[in-house]
Formats: sequence, C-alpha cells, structure tokens
Amino acid sequence: MKRPSGMARPLRITRALGAVRPRGRPVPPAAPVPGEVLAEAEGLTVRLGAREVLADVGVRVRAGEVLALVGPNGAGKSTLLSVLAADLPPTAGCVRIHGRPASDWSVPELALRRAVLPQSASLSFPFTVGEVVRMGRAPWTSVRPEDDGAAVAGAMAATEVTGLAARPFSALSGGERARVALARVLAQCAPLLLLDEPTAALDLRHQELVLRLCRERALAGDAVVVVLHDLGLAAAHAHRVAVLRAGRVAADGPPREVFTRGLLSRVYEQPVEVFPHPRTGTVVVLPDRAAGPSA
Amino acid sequence: MRRLRTRLAGALLSALALTLTATACGGPPEAASAPPPDAASAPPDRVEPLAGTPRPALPATVRSADGRTLTVRRAERVVPLSGSLSEIVFTLGLGSRVVARDVTATFEQAARLPVVTRGHDVSAEGVLSLRPDLVIAESGTGPAEAMDQIRAAGIPVLVVAAATGLDDVGPRIGAVAAALGVPSAGEELTRRTEERIAAVTRSVPRDGTKPRVAFLYLRGSASVYLIGGRGSGATSLIEAAGAVDAGAGSGLEKDFTAITSEALVKAAPDAVLVMAKGLESVGGVDGLVKIPGVAQTPAGMDRRIVSVEDGVLLNYGPRTDQVLASVVEQLYGGGA
Amino acid sequence: MSVLEKTVREPVAPAPPRGRRTTAWLLTAGLVAGLVVLVPVAAGTGAYPVPVGDVFASVLHRSGLGGGELDRIAESVLWNVRFPRIALALLVGASLGCAGALMQGVFGNPLAEPGVIGVSSGAAVGAVAAIALGLNFAGNWTVPVLAFVAGLSTVLLVYGMSRSGGRTEVVTLILTGIAVNAFAGALIGLFLFFADTAAINQITFWQLGSLSQATWPKVLAVLPCAALGLTVAPLYARRLDLLALGERPARHLGVDVERLRIVLVLVIALLTAAAVSVSGIIGFVGLVVPHLLRMAAGPGHRFLLPGSALLGALVLLAADLIARTVAEPAELPLGVLTALLGSPFFFWLLRRTRRRQGGWA
Repeated sequence: MKRPSGMARPLRITRALGAVRPRGRPVPPAAPVPGEVLAEAEGLTVRLGAREVLADVGVRVRAGEVLALVGPNGAGKSTLLSVLAADLPPTAGCVRIHGRPASDWSVPELALRRAVLPQSASLSFPFTVGEVVRMGRAPWTSVRPEDDGAAVAGAMAATEVTGLAARPFSALSGGERARVALARVLAQCAPLLLLDEPTAALDLRHQELVLRLCRERALAGDAVVVVLHDLGLAAAHAHRVAVLRAGRVAADGPPREVFTRGLLSRVYEQPVEVFPHPRTGTVVVLPDRAAGPSA
Repeated sequence: MRRLRTRLAGALLSALALTLTATACGGPPEAASAPPPDAASAPPDRVEPLAGTPRPALPATVRSADGRTLTVRRAERVVPLSGSLSEIVFTLGLGSRVVARDVTATFEQAARLPVVTRGHDVSAEGVLSLRPDLVIAESGTGPAEAMDQIRAAGIPVLVVAAATGLDDVGPRIGAVAAALGVPSAGEELTRRTEERIAAVTRSVPRDGTKPRVAFLYLRGSASVYLIGGRGSGATSLIEAAGAVDAGAGSGLEKDFTAITSEALVKAAPDAVLVMAKGLESVGGVDGLVKIPGVAQTPAGMDRRIVSVEDGVLLNYGPRTDQVLASVVEQLYGGGA
Repeated sequence: MSVLEKTVREPVAPAPPRGRRTTAWLLTAGLVAGLVVLVPVAAGTGAYPVPVGDVFASVLHRSGLGGGELDRIAESVLWNVRFPRIALALLVGASLGCAGALMQGVFGNPLAEPGVIGVSSGAAVGAVAAIALGLNFAGNWTVPVLAFVAGLSTVLLVYGMSRSGGRTEVVTLILTGIAVNAFAGALIGLFLFFADTAAINQITFWQLGSLSQATWPKVLAVLPCAALGLTVAPLYARRLDLLALGERPARHLGVDVERLRIVLVLVIALLTAAAVSVSGIIGFVGLVVPHLLRMAAGPGHRFLLPGSALLGALVLLAADLIARTVAEPAELPLGVLTALLGSPFFFWLLRRTRRRQGGWA
C-alpha cells in the first residue's frame, strides 16, 4: 500500500501548489450491498511516541450492522476509530475503506464515504445551528447539491434540533451541541459512520434516540461504528461488539456471546454481573457490588 | 578648522572696528557686541537681523546640495524646513517672507508662524498648502518621497548641506542668500558671523593644557550614557572653545555611542557638555553630578558642567558666536 | 481559467439563514456606497484646498471628458500627493482587513492578528536593518523591498518550524510566533542600539506607520500583491467555514487542511508584508474590522472576506483622512491613530462578545 517514495514526493508538492488545479469531481460511492465490508483493519499496530496504543488489531465493519467498540479507558477505542477514519496512519498493518487502502483515497472522496463524529464538538466562530448542520453537506456541493435541503432537514428532525436552527452553536448546552454535531454527521449521508462516544453528554431519552438512529441507519444499509462506555446500551443496540483491552481485541462477536461475566470482569478489572433482562432477554451488565474489587 | 583659524587670524584687526560700525548702524546694542559673560548664560531667544531689508534680485539660478540646479523666480513665500535655516533667512532680513516653520525654529521672531514639520515628517501636502515659492531643506530632510512630490508641483527646493562644524556657517549662509537673490547680504552676514566667532575665540584663555570635554546625551538618570563622537557635530564647537572633545578624541566616529558609567569614569573628562532639556531631566547640575559615573569624573567633582539650549547647540549659523561664548563662559568662567 | 471553473463548480455550501444573508447584502451595498462617497471627499480634503468640484473637473479633464485643468500646484497636489495616497490607503486597508479575517479563520481564533505569526515584526526587522545599516541597493525602494522579503521569510520560517509530521498545531504555531517575535524584537533593539540618531528617528517614524510617503510606484508595487491576495482569498471561503469545526472535522468533510493552510498563510504573508512594507506597522485594522462584520452579519467567510477588505479600505481611508487633516498642516502618524482608536474599541468588543456568547466557544 505504500507508494514508491520517488513518486510520492513530487505528487505531494503538486498537490500543495495546485490549489486551484481543476480536478475531476469526486465520484460518490454506489449504495453498499448488505454485508459488504465497508471498513477493514488487518494487523493494525499504532505507536504514539514509545507507547504501543494498538497491537495487531483486526476488525471488519459490514454494511447493515452496528459495531460497538467497548473497553476500559485507554484501551485504544478512539485510536482505532481514528485509524478507521484515515486520520491516523498506522505504524504497521493495513486499513481498507470501501475496499481500497485508506491512503489511496483523496480527501474529498473519503468525505463521501465516511462521516466521523468527534468526541467533543467545538466551533471557533458563532455559526448558527442551521449553518453547522449544513456544513455536513460540504462534500456533496460539487456532486449532488440538490439533495442538501432534504438531507439537512431530515438530519435535524431525526436528532430533534430543528427548533434550534437559528440559535448560535456556542449558546447551546453540552447535550444540544452533541446532537447538533450528530445531525451534521448524519447530513453528510456517508455509508460508513464512525461515532466516538455519541451518548456521553446525553440524557437517558436522547441516548436511546441516538442509538435507535444508529440502528435505523444500519437497517438502511449503512455501516455504523460507535464507541460506547455503557455496556447495557451496547448490548441493547449493537449487532456486534468488539471488546478492546490494552490495544488488543479481547473479543469480537454478538453481544450475547461476547458479554460474559468472566471476560468483562477480566477486561475491566472489576467483577461484573451479566444476566438477561427479565422481560426482553437482552443482556444486562452491572458491576458486582457484592464482591470485593479484586475477587 | 585650521583654514578658519588662519582666516580669523587675518581678520583680527578689522574685527573690532567692524563690530563698532555695526553698533553705529543701529542694531540692538546688547547683541551687537560680543555678548557680555552674564548675558551669555541666558541670551534672549531672538535673532538679530542685518540692518535694512535687502531687495532680492530674482530670478536666481543656484546649485543645490543634492546636485540639482534650480531657478528661483519669486521669494515671496519661503518655507525653511529647519530651525537653523529659518534663522539664516530671518537674519538676512527676509523674515517677513517666511510663512511657516519647523518645530525647531523657536526664536521669538518665528514663534508665531504655523508649524509645518516636526523634524523627520515632511508632509508634501502640508508644505504645498502654504503655496510656497521656495522651500529650503537640509540635506537630511525627508522623507525623500515628500521632497520629490514638492518638486513635482514645480516648487524650487534648495537643499543645503547639513552643518557639522563652524566651517559650515559661511557656506550655509551663502547658499541660502544666493537662492534668495541677496548674495551681498549673505556676504555681509557671513563676515559679521565669522568676525563675532573670531572675537569669542580670542577670548578663550590659552594657558597650558586644554580641558577634555565629553558631550553627553542625557535622558533621565539611567546609568548608560550616550557620548558624542566625531559625528555628533559638537566637536568643532568644543575645539573652538579651546577644549578637546573626549569622545572624538578617543576615536568614536559615530554621532552617539552608548558607554557604561565605568567607561565614563575611565574617560575622565574635565568637563561635561549637555543640552538644557537633558540636564533638566536629571534634575539640573545638582542631579547630574550625583549620577554614578559622572560623580567620579573630574567634571563631576568640579561641577564643571556646560549646558546649552537644545535648539541652538548644533545650529551652526548666525548665532553660533553666542553659543560659543556661552560655552566658553561656562567652561572657564567659574573655575579658571 | 481554472480558478473560475473551480468557483463555479463549488458553490458555497453552508447557506446562511435569510436574515444574515440580507444583512450581508445590505452591508456590502453600504460599504460600497461609503467608499463611493468617501473617496471624492478624501480627494477634496486636505491641507491644500481643492474643492470636491475641482476634483471632478480635474478627473474629467484628464480622462478627456471636458472638465477643466486646475492650477499647477493644485493639479500636482491632487495627482501626485492625494490620489496615490488614497489609492494606497484603499489597498493597504483592504489587504490588512482581508488578511485579518483570513488569519482569524485559519487559526480558528477570533483574536489572531498578523502580528501573531511574525509578519509585522519580521517586516520591521527588514526595514530597520535597511535604515540602520544605511543600505541603499534599491534607492527609495530598499526599505519596502527588505521589509517584504523579511516579512515573508519570517512567516515561512514560523510555519516551517511549527510543523511536525506534516501537521501544524495552532498552539505550537502561536508559541513559535511568540518566540520569533521576541527574536525580531531583539534584532530591532540591536539595530536601534547601533544606529545613529538620524536613523533612529527614521526607524521610530517608520514603526509608527504612515501613508505620507505614498507615491504611484508604491501603489503599483502593492497592487499586484493585493489583487492576487484579494482574488484568491474568497475562493477558500467555504473551506474556512468548515475549518471552524476543527482540523479533523474539516478534513472529514473533504477539506485538505494542510494545503489550505499553506496557501492561506502565503496569501496572508503576501497581503500583510506588502502592506507593512509601504506603510509601516498599522495595527488593529486586521483585528477590529473582521470582528465588527462578524457581529453584524455572522461568521460566514463568504461575506466576511470581501466584506473585511471593503471595510478595511473604508476604515483606513477615513483614518488617514483624519491623520492628515486633524493637525494641519502637519500630520499624525496613522499607526498611532488606528491603535489609539482601535484598542479601546477592541476592549469594548471583547467585553460585549464575552457577555453575549458567554466566552469564546
């Protein structure tokens, strides 16, 4: 996947100088086939300074499913998401997005293929909520601008921020900001959604709302990767969970199979209880408060 | 310097006679003779014009110090862009034709004129708004763009070489007088000025060693001093007063060089020459002789401080004899 | 031309809400009208009396449309002194205003200023060196040329030093800018220390900032820099909007952030160094102008960039008019005037913005 270095250098310079060079408009992706692998990591190793943040990680993200990344703090969930988003080049291993190595895509092409919700949303200038959500349409301006209105309106309605449209983003509460940021990501209409803790700032109702939205998008054929801390939410909404521990995948599979008392207690270094919900049968994970911390 | 001395020596005898003639012609008596010592320390800030108003013979074609040749057709509205040049025009008796002044032209006769420049900030439009028919500038007057814009409006601009010493007094008066079409008044004024300077020079006591004078640029009592070197312009004045410039004497070529208090102690000047405002800023003579550095020099210990008004110290021109007399008086008057 | 194709193909995405868009149009019209009124007024005002009527007569006469010639001095004042000065005020003001808006956008910080990344102080080092060392290889052009070269190289140096791994973090960039500014300050101090009195006077005056040395050749020297910068800047308006989300989100939305940065830093350096090199340091225009417009019409760069150029031109023309008339026939240094009026205004802006939006987002 590495270009010969003799080629890479002049190419970079041409890009840097060719600010106004006409280029072919980026081609939007075809609608994904259910089960198609939209993002894939193999033998992924990431070193930041001397620390090995990810070691030999392999995951696949398929169209039509919600993949939850869970694990204790510092396990490498956000780093894995950054690598899948092509933000961070891996030290070793390979990342493919829509079947091509991540580094082969141009920035505008990637923008049509994956949308990313960062952990915290910030904004340097007092743009209004409406303007912020509309920014999500930027990748489409040269491709299909006629869909903009509908996509923006749909995303705002889905995240319940329509009423905030005229307010400046900076005047919103943390939860409102998080939903507006999500609306922007949804408006981007990319088949691969990478969401880093979308529920962190939200109340109970909106947590449910956001994860329902994830499922809806998966149902519509997109692939959704979502970093979560709440194992109950992951168990209830994700089709598949990948449990990370110290930079490695400790388990990968449907929540019912992966979420076991032994695995979770080991991964989180905290005894947990796992039992099915009496009415729905969904897995419920709770810390085992009866046991001592090092049982 | 030597050339001037020789010339002065040649004019020794006639000098006194001419001074008397000038008095007889009705000039103000207190300024006509070499000023008495007590008046020298506080001379009235006014110029003493030549008797009678000369009639300019125009057009006059002259060479300017910038190499250009210019023709002056009228000299009804004259704008000199420095105090020193103003002084020359006024002393030539043509003060009524001057329509504005630089901020450094502080003498009584010019004080009421509008200020058009403040040293280094000539505004072309400001000058042109006075509708001058002759602009007189120093070679250092600028910015160059503004001077070009004034020329572009068709106004003759006479550039006079900047004064660096007593030798320049005559040529500067001559250049201005020629451009104004009054060359004979110029000669008369040059003669008068040189004679007066010669008279003061003669009064300098010449007994034994020459005192070493340091020209200090003071602003507040920070213990770093700017000492004048050969480029400061004061060397010629100090030498005419029968002294040695400590800065120039120790090989300093620039106008001012920063030295530490210890270096000043080492230089051990017998006297210190300062400008009046600088002296004021350190609390007068009493303040100055207490400043570390000055206090340890012979000058500080003997309180041999020479102070001259800022505006006139380096204005080599028709009033330089008064400055020189004041320097001589302060240098030798008290102690010698 | 490729530039045009690009603009046509990439209509700006985040359309502002109706209210803001209307305000933007009204403001643009107002600013243009302001300039149309102020230019003849400025041409007809000054120490040398030339009535506005005479200004038009002279312009008509020179363009062969009737009118009448004025007397020689008036013609010269108008065409050699006032018109180049007005033209330079417009160019320098537009450049500083637009560069300020660009810089605040690029750094995502509403308090960014061209001085921050070292253009002003770098340019000052060049100018001060030229004056103090008495360099004269290009005649009257030596100071502007050296100021421009030094300003541009300072920016490139700051940018180069603050990059690591192909990225530039704003904090690193600003800290590097601070270090470079300090170094430039030391160099200026050193030159001042060794300069003679006449040179110190000249340096001080240059640092105060003024348009009094405006000439047609200077206008022609600044014109290509300003024209290039002012044309290129609006092409990046949409991408600058996206940059407000942060670097990564902007890249997620298809913006090649690194390339955007390089191009815009060059544009900023071009605009500022050119302006500083002919006029000295004129502060606060680049800071206050974009702020005012953002308050009135929102932060969208589609309007902000051209709007800041227009308002910058208007502000500097007005300030210069005041500077050269208030103390007739002498004049105030323009940089002193803008800083004197600009800084209290900026304090007020700060407090007001803080109160309104409860901090800096």
